[in-house]
Amino acid sequence: MKAVEVMVIGGGPAGLCAALSAASLGAKVLLAERDGTPGGQLVKQTHKFFGSEKQYAGDRGVHIAQMLLDKARVDSNIEIWTDSAVLSIYEDGVVTVEHEGKHAKVKPGRSIIATGAAEKFLSFPGNDLPGVYGAGAVQTLMNVSGVKPAERVLMVGAGNIGLIVSYQLAQAGVKVEAVIEGAARIGGYLVHASKIRRAGIPIMTRHTILEAFGEKQVEGAVIAQLDDNWLPVAGTERKIACDAICLAVGLSPLAELAWQAGCEMAYIKELSGHVPIVNEFLESTISGIYCAGDVSGIEEASAAMVEGRLAGISVAVSLGHGGGAAEAMQREAMGELGELRAGLMGRHIREGLAKMDSLAAEFGIRNSEFKTPHAAAELGIGCEVQDISISATSPASALFSSGVPANEDIAKICPSDERFAAGPVAVVECFQEIPCNPCVKACNRGAIAMPRDINDMPALNARLCNGCGRCIPLCPGLAIFVIDMDYGEDLALVKLPYEYVPIPKAGQLALGLDRCGRELGRYEVVRVMPGGKRNMTHTVALAVPKELAMEVRAVGVL
Amino acid sequence: MRIKEHPVLSFERGGKISFYFNGQEIEAYPTETIAAALHAAGVRKLGESPELHRPRGLFCAIGNCSSCFMIVDGEPNMRICVMKVRPGIRVEEQKGKGVIKT
Repeated sequence: MKAVEVMVIGGGPAGLCAALSAASLGAKVLLAERDGTPGGQLVKQTHKFFGSEKQYAGDRGVHIAQMLLDKARVDSNIEIWTDSAVLSIYEDGVVTVEHEGKHAKVKPGRSIIATGAAEKFLSFPGNDLPGVYGAGAVQTLMNVSGVKPAERVLMVGAGNIGLIVSYQLAQAGVKVEAVIEGAARIGGYLVHASKIRRAGIPIMTRHTILEAFGEKQVEGAVIAQLDDNWLPVAGTERKIACDAICLAVGLSPLAELAWQAGCEMAYIKELSGHVPIVNEFLESTISGIYCAGDVSGIEEASAAMVEGRLAGISVAVSLGHGGGAAEAMQREAMGELGELRAGLMGRHIREGLAKMDSLAAEFGIRNSEFKTPHAAAELGIGCEVQDISISATSPASALFSSGVPANEDIAKICPSDERFAAGPVAVVECFQEIPCNPCVKACNRGAIAMPRDINDMPALNARLCNGCGRCIPLCPGLAIFVIDMDYGEDLALVKLPYEYVPIPKAGQLALGLDRCGRELGRYEVVRVMPGGKRNMTHTVALAVPKELAMEVRAVGVL
Repeated sequence: MRIKEHPVLSFERGGKISFYFNGQEIEAYPTETIAAALHAAGVRKLGESPELHRPRGLFCAIGNCSSCFMIVDGEPNMRICVMKVRPGIRVEEQKGKGVIKT
């Protein structure tokens, strides 16, 4: 039997951050990861993360994974077991692990369950055909193994995963026939939706898949429109030829170990399923067992990393490490979680966690001296958030169902003619309160502000902006463009973010595409600026007719 | 098909190796899982369901769902989505429930 102070189960974003924070306070940690390499789902996330600097916003998931893993590997307080699946947690706290072909027993002082989540499935005839994949599987094939999963894909689900994986498919050169979504509105961030619309990928809200067909593998799908009761509308069926159907219909917590250990569980739909009941320090109803990340409620990876950090600090404190500094660290992590969850997009999380709080109180595990980071009322926010959203962008805007900003949206953020006449200026096409603020830091001149918190929409002070374009590659949503109306007599220079291959070359002609990916014309590429080794987003400057400066939003290589 | 050029990632695959799928030699790279190598070779049917004998393919690719069970070197129920390919291994379609060697 191996004795350790802290056992972290799962080496994804939550587990790695838990191990690092517990170790930083002096606790000895054993991290068990069932895969050959820790990193969890981060290793396949090629897009830039949202959130704030504290959650590594602006960095790509794959780089964050490497950075966390590099830190953990050199930390003498952390031992990492890979290819080691945790099998069970016994009443006396003993954890058994399949490790190096043996049934290993570990006796930890504290355990942190950070096992993450699994993809949900969807019922339809033919859903068992080869070629029906979870969205994560497609990411693994493309981004970890470098293998194209298919040539033509139908994406089911327009939440963040469906939108992001569609973008990644396009980056890998796979054609996405359409993204279909049962709800009337796009569930994921609109900037992700706009990005794939510019790549010419249609998004069809209020549509579902009726069946997959094919002899030995997927050859196509039948989709149909849904009415307001979520029933297919007769006569709207249509066939889509594709060789893969990708399901991005949500995640459910992988909470088996918490069940098995005897943690009190609850079904909380806002948290996406059965979750262990935890208190504000993420301790479950079994003393010494903590849960962090998606296992106790599905959120973005940025929240999972902060939860991991909070759980790591909390176990270290409970073991007598950390001293006075630890409490400040706990408060800081709680503050970050509160901020990530404060916006409109975090509303269901706040509702779910409010239920979690009352259950935790019922089971007597709440520590009343701490305010929870998630109960909406305690943060002094709530229904007013919705009001802000309505005033900023009408929820009725076609943007929410199409992913394409409507004229009325553009009119709100379009710089004035006078400002255009005064020289290059940024155009910020970000229309939704999402927890994300790298653009604020990107501007040396302080021209982009978020007065309230990171969930604000960026407010551009066009007088302070000099159109330098530094913000273009730093916006994780690729939603910032720079326009120089004074480039030539009839020409404007539009600077656009670009993340595809091949890279356009200066002097060549390239396609100018509108917000729906439609070709507007062939224009000269004036300059191409690489984003650098870590950022990797190119900025392409295209000379377009002045009247199209507010229309051209993407580049296509001829 | 393998991705050759990517805007964010570079794939360091190492030297080519080969293994056998249903007796047929297939090229692969040691960094790949068996599932990835089979996909790259255009193989997506990995087995058959126990009762209706319907084709089975990859679903989760993280060792969760059991859809990719195959027989590797005579051992059934191998999760080939997380199992790395090794030179010369013999991978076969699994028809129905596997029979564990005793």
